[in-house]
Amino acid sequence: MTQRITPPEDNLKIRCRKLGHQIFFSYCRRENRGLPCPKTIDCWHIHFQVQDYLEQELTHEEWNQAFAAPAKPKVMTLLDLIEQAKAAKEEGSG
Amino acid sequence: MQVKKIFLPESELPRQWYNIAADMPTPLEPPLHPGTGKPVGPDDLAPIFPMPLIEQEVSKQRFIDIPEPVLEKYLIWRPTPMYRAFNLEKHLGTPAKIYFKNEGVSPAGSHKPNTALAQAYYNKISGTKKITTETGAGQWGSALAMCCCLFGLECKVYMVKVSFQQKPYRRLMMETWGATCIASPSTETNAGRKILEKNPDSPGSLGIAISEAVEAAVLGKDTKYSLGSVLNHVLLHQTIVGQEAQKQMALFGDYPDVVIGCAGGGSNFSGLAFPFIRDKIHGKKVEILAVEPASCPTMTRGPFAYDFGDTVQMTPLLPMHTLGHSFIPEPIHAGGLRYHGMAPLVSQLILDKLITPIAVPQLETFEAGLTFARTEGFISAPETNHAIAVLIREAKKAKEEGKQKVILLNWSGHGLVDMAAYEAYLTGRLKNYELPQEEIDRALAEIAPLPKPKQYRK
Repeated sequence: MTQRITPPEDNLKIRCRKLGHQIFFSYCRRENRGLPCPKTIDCWHIHFQVQDYLEQELTHEEWNQAFAAPAKPKVMTLLDLIEQAKAAKEEGSG
Repeated sequence: MQVKKIFLPESELPRQWYNIAADMPTPLEPPLHPGTGKPVGPDDLAPIFPMPLIEQEVSKQRFIDIPEPVLEKYLIWRPTPMYRAFNLEKHLGTPAKIYFKNEGVSPAGSHKPNTALAQAYYNKISGTKKITTETGAGQWGSALAMCCCLFGLECKVYMVKVSFQQKPYRRLMMETWGATCIASPSTETNAGRKILEKNPDSPGSLGIAISEAVEAAVLGKDTKYSLGSVLNHVLLHQTIVGQEAQKQMALFGDYPDVVIGCAGGGSNFSGLAFPFIRDKIHGKKVEILAVEPASCPTMTRGPFAYDFGDTVQMTPLLPMHTLGHSFIPEPIHAGGLRYHGMAPLVSQLILDKLITPIAVPQLETFEAGLTFARTEGFISAPETNHAIAVLIREAKKAKEEGKQKVILLNWSGHGLVDMAAYEAYLTGRLKNYELPQEEIDRALAEIAPLPKPKQYRK
């Protein structure tokens, strides 16, 4: 059976591996600061032709930003976020 | 009438946590700071964690006393009961004796308060006034909210906005326990404001919520951050589960041949398993099974390598079982089992062949969850169903072999606020998916050039 290329409506929800609850495609499409969540293709490929759809939707640069930099595990982000917060503080006081 | 469950008396509550780092045949390799290449030190983490927790993170002391105020509050739900699953045994027609440790009886419904309580206490005595964290559906956020409340700490939970809007029950649990739960992105942090300036309607993400929680801890007066998985001190606090279980097994007059837990970040699995692994290190014959989704085979098919946490290679390097940092797990309905990397302690113990990892497909996990609910009554969290699936496999194997094996399971939490996943299964909307070997090979090729720790294996 051929899958459709258009995304499903928001009434179709699947469980999000990151949030721990059901979610609709339009959220996944912009989860990553406006870009798709890096896991979007994995989560949705059994429901529609998500990769083809996103290839049409995204520029090459956006595609790379979204899928070449997948979300980090929480523990691995901590030092980075500490440094970012410190930098923001210095920026604010500078 | 046979004994169905054992409640330990409160006087038998373990007085110490067990630190497996003291007994590991291969010492754990420290995480390396990506900037310096040197081990991450206490000062690196001090902006977000109180020093007692950082000390526990690197401790090699075998047993660490549980402070009296933590013991007093553990008594709200601990010791947790251990059950003999007679109905499940009968249903399976197995000669195996099946036991399960019920961690779903905590007020928050899972094992997570075992560490949330300890973390709240150590923050309290370190002068912390407020703890921040992030949450999606809210299991960790609600556990921390409850425990902060018990120690008179302010708790601020940055809950992903879409979850905040869609999942009112756990948010209300947090608020009932006195926490402030705000939708992320918020206007309260630089990170949140930046997002909202660009997109006022942003639905948020876990990444944004973590950024906000860490920033609030770093910049806030007397404020720290709390994490509910993966780190050594988190796993340490969970070992009260296994120590209670050892006493309860003795009261049943049994010792397990097989110990089973689901493993996402590793905390509930480690909580039950580590005290039994200590016995194994000292010669006891016991099989320790860590269960993961077949579509996310971090433990069962990944090599052990240093993996960069991000593609620009700026985050600390932790030795972990990994599929490489571009690995994207396939769809699976188990929120707690989605970590890209397993806890370093668990990874090392797999390498040392003290833990056997097993992967199960998701339809089997829900079939197992239904079987469990229809025999023992309890509705399990989706991640707990992974462990139940392997429990059933082991029980059937015992039947085939005609052996009266003793099997022990960590029933890590109930699924009563996760019924949507059951609905998806019951209406036939879940599918199995196993990662193709070519996908594994591609991911492994990407980590080939990365620096390898001494234990690297192919």
